[in-house]
Amino acid sequence: MAGALHLLSTAGLGKSFDGVRALSEVSFSLAAGEIHAICGENGAGKSTFVKLLMGILQPDEGSIAVNGEPVVLRGPQHAQNLGLGFVAQELSLAPRLSILDNIWLGSAEVPFFHRTTALRRRARAALDALNVGDWDLDAPVASLSIGQRQIVEIARLFARDARILILDEPTATLSDAEIERILGVLDSVRRQGRSVIYVTHRLGEVFALCDRVTVFRNGEHIATEAIAAVTRPHLIELMLGRSLSEMYPQASAQAAPRSAATIVRLNIPGQVHDFSVEVPLGKIVCIAGQVGSGANAVTRALAGLIENATGNVWISGIPLPLGSVPRCVANNVVFISEDRAAEGLFHQMLVRDNLVAASFRRRARFGVLDWPALRRLAADLAGRLGIDRRRLRSSAAHLSGGNQQKLLFGRALQRAGGCLLLMNEPTRGIDVGARADIYRLMRELCDQGFTLVIASSDLEEVAGIADVVITMYRGETVGRYQRNAIDMSRILADIIHPSRSESTVRRVEPAQAL
Amino acid sequence: MSLAFLRNDPHGRPLVTFVLTVLLLVVFGAGQGALLSPAVVRSTLETFGDTGLVALGLGLTMVIREFDLSVVGVFSVGGCIAVLTGNTDPWTGLLLALALGMIAGLAQGWLIVRLRLGSIGITLGGMLVLSGLAYVLSENRSLPYDNMQVALALTQPIAGVFSIRSLLTLAFFVVAALVVGTTRIGRDLIAIGSDRRAAMIAGVNVNAIIVGVFAFSGATAALAGVLVSYSLASASPAGLSDVIVPAATAAILGGVSLSGGTGRPLGIAIGMLILGVLHAGLNVLGAPPYAEQIVMGAVLLVVAVADGPLLLRRLGMTKQLIKPGLISGAHRNG
Amino acid sequence: MNGLLRSPSPLVVLRTIAVAALALISVLTPGFFSEPSLLSLATTVSFIGCVAVGMTFITISGNIMSFSLGALVGATSMIFILAMNFAGLAFGLAAALVFAALINAAQGLLIGAVRANPIIISIAATGLIYGVAEALAAQGAVYPTVGVHWGSGKLVDLPVEFVVLLCSAAVAQFLLSFTVFGRHLLMTGSSLAAAEVIGVRTWRTVTSAYLWAGLFSGLAGIMLAIRYGSASMTYGIGYEYNAMAAVLVGGTSIKGGEGSALRTLIGAIVIAVVEAVLLLWGFRQEWQFFIAGVIVLAVVALQTQGKRD
Repeated sequence: MAGALHLLSTAGLGKSFDGVRALSEVSFSLAAGEIHAICGENGAGKSTFVKLLMGILQPDEGSIAVNGEPVVLRGPQHAQNLGLGFVAQELSLAPRLSILDNIWLGSAEVPFFHRTTALRRRARAALDALNVGDWDLDAPVASLSIGQRQIVEIARLFARDARILILDEPTATLSDAEIERILGVLDSVRRQGRSVIYVTHRLGEVFALCDRVTVFRNGEHIATEAIAAVTRPHLIELMLGRSLSEMYPQASAQAAPRSAATIVRLNIPGQVHDFSVEVPLGKIVCIAGQVGSGANAVTRALAGLIENATGNVWISGIPLPLGSVPRCVANNVVFISEDRAAEGLFHQMLVRDNLVAASFRRRARFGVLDWPALRRLAADLAGRLGIDRRRLRSSAAHLSGGNQQKLLFGRALQRAGGCLLLMNEPTRGIDVGARADIYRLMRELCDQGFTLVIASSDLEEVAGIADVVITMYRGETVGRYQRNAIDMSRILADIIHPSRSESTVRRVEPAQAL
Repeated sequence: MSLAFLRNDPHGRPLVTFVLTVLLLVVFGAGQGALLSPAVVRSTLETFGDTGLVALGLGLTMVIREFDLSVVGVFSVGGCIAVLTGNTDPWTGLLLALALGMIAGLAQGWLIVRLRLGSIGITLGGMLVLSGLAYVLSENRSLPYDNMQVALALTQPIAGVFSIRSLLTLAFFVVAALVVGTTRIGRDLIAIGSDRRAAMIAGVNVNAIIVGVFAFSGATAALAGVLVSYSLASASPAGLSDVIVPAATAAILGGVSLSGGTGRPLGIAIGMLILGVLHAGLNVLGAPPYAEQIVMGAVLLVVAVADGPLLLRRLGMTKQLIKPGLISGAHRNG
Repeated sequence: MNGLLRSPSPLVVLRTIAVAALALISVLTPGFFSEPSLLSLATTVSFIGCVAVGMTFITISGNIMSFSLGALVGATSMIFILAMNFAGLAFGLAAALVFAALINAAQGLLIGAVRANPIIISIAATGLIYGVAEALAAQGAVYPTVGVHWGSGKLVDLPVEFVVLLCSAAVAQFLLSFTVFGRHLLMTGSSLAAAEVIGVRTWRTVTSAYLWAGLFSGLAGIMLAIRYGSASMTYGIGYEYNAMAAVLVGGTSIKGGEGSALRTLIGAIVIAVVEAVLLLWGFRQEWQFFIAGVIVLAVVALQTQGKRD
């Protein structure tokens, strides 16, 4: 491929944020008619790379060339004019508008009276090229499934004549059939001589579709290989390639005396299918899975936040009714969301009030608060959590991510005698230093009789902290592992590409531990 | 009229409501039979002319998920200015009022975009300032308008049931429908109301559209104020319930949702006609004036509740509560 | 409060300067400190102040404002007189307060449970209240058949109305600062989703907020009826706007989640003083709305600017 003209290439591309290197020394090339996968764990630098290519971020070093010409991408519009098109994970379609209108939404080419036959023809041609020529251009996007909407996004790029399509995890939330369809669409893209940069977690799609794969790890460009030249285990090794740090505290080796919670056949339509687990008391159970695996939905359902969840759940032998948060809270189930800004903190309130927010009802007589007790409680909690007590009287909005997370832990700590603590992505957006604190706290909670169920897509975290790991892939449980059987490469294999035969074998083998 | 049409066409629901309203009144007024007379049609169209323009402007702000409270103030102050300055030349009054309305809308739209603020706070201030201006200008009395020729010309029946006022309002609706239906601006408008973030990512100039819609809303409210004052030959400050209640009711009946992105100008026009028919019908049936106020308030309350995002969920929960086990459970925890 | 000690934000500085300037202007305005002027000031501020204290709950709950409180004041005054004529003062008081609380709580229920738009609901309620009142009492005003008046009654040299306002503000502040309801209200206004996640039944909190708002507004209606010895739907017209201005001037965020009844009290006094001063300067009563509007615009704009940094 050395002689072929490269549609896009980068040389020594690098980017730092606040002195921390997010990406360094990326030399990448994209041939015409190639589908090029970008793989890597969370935080490996994939999204930084994409943002550099789209002109959303400017590189600190290195250069980008389009069609062999070096360019400085001034912004997304400029990148679009050069023939680059980007489909983000979050769709940018207006559901109330028709497919046609969405294809041309925001384009500078559209005349004032936008319903021209030329635009309609080009939109039609774009749909035809994607093998979905039978779609009604005037149907509202609201009537399409998520997968079909992804195809509209791709058609938008086609209609505007993008030569290079950059797709960021386009299949994360799609069903099997829809993924098949997207893969078919991308195949026809390739046949027209256009190229695709395909950012994904899912190895299955990499092997089914792509020509070459580039692996990032910790912001470094690890390797670029032809798909024919790599095997699945080798690719996983390239993505991981590091040992666990000393970040994770040792768990007590004691076996759990009894189970804290039993979940039997938890179902959430469209998200989770027949999830069952026995959660041992005082242990950390990690549900590992990528976006769209349903791992986050399991914890949300147990917290009472998903109304149409069904299944049988017992907390210490008492049945837990699903679908109502107050009832779950009354049954000693506490949930900490990954979206701390929207579902955790009360920004306008003091740190102190935020800490004891879940305890007001219990520290009151006839509805009147016992402030002295609440203040003592807050001060005590601050001490246990390692939050500076002087901060108690300042606004919660100014806390760092780590301190915010500690504060939310504090809400759970007040449940005397332990409870079932559910968390999604416990260290998302938290810097490395504070992470160790969070992990230590999690372990301390276990020793105090708490039981933790965590949904996480951070493999290192899963392998480091969990006593029990359950892997999920698109709503299905793939494997279960006990403490000493936890192995990062197997977990990674489970959550990105479970091959059916292997998963059944594995299910027999570690399940005996539970 | 198939069911699919009802679901998919933005005008389906308003049309059905309109037909049902007429039928309802026919049933109630069976004895009189006066309901389908030209006088009723004319009265319906006059109501349409009174508040239709305000409903159009307010409705469009609702389509982009904003709400322009200031239409009340613009309506009042527009009327007062026109009456005060338009005695000799009605066009001067009209132009001044229109300019003021548009500037008020532009200023508020700019503040909303600039401060990245919900529109309620800003337009509440705008409404008070402009209504206040109307009170100051009118000294809280009814301002007389001496140019009776204008008043007569505006109310003169055309083709039996129309008047300049209702025709002009109709024209505005038609133009707005064309703009929303066939131009880029209309498409962007619906995109913004449908999903503002997505529209911004796709490259729509969101801020310009927002400011523009508020300017339009200001201008139409001012025009409505001018037309009403000219034809009544007097102007006085209007209250919230005189303007916002019918305008918002018409918009919501016309298929506009407070959650944005739905509703089209013609739907709002139909919503306005529903109110007009109600008004005329109640008159024919001899209902006292307060009956109309009650009906209007009740209709607005019902449509607002029906528009509530959690309505269906709550209805489902109420069903659940009837199961005895859950009631005792709720008691234990509460 | 804390910020004052450390680094005074521009907003705090501005607020201090504004209050100082206002005080200076009042001192320099001839006639302002005469007894009748102050008395009438204290009385007028009481009616709007009570509504403003009630409005504070609604604003904190994240529902911006209610347009129906003015109509509620008028309606409550009528209910008070009618019920009193029927079965005496105590019954009148109880009936009026229950009425005010229920009418508002019903709106709160629709807003909290169905998440219906609070602005639209309160506007619809306004129309309904005026319409129903007109249907029931076409003659306009109602008069008591039994004599009640505290006349120019005073407590500790203050008009009774003003004492009622002070007590209302104190009770409201107690509710906000020292009760579970108050904390849950602040949490609901600050982040509805976060409050639901930790198990707050937000619909109940919002309904209660509206209930209290109704009670405090109802007090204003009762006081008006007693002061004027009659009741009419014209009482309370436009009160909601001045009340909202008072809430905003008091520093309660229009986005909800923070605020204080005592500061609303200060806000109400500031606005009443501004209006009194302007009246003495020759601005007629008609300027009232305009002034309230300018204040609302200025405060809303400043609130967001202050938050930026």
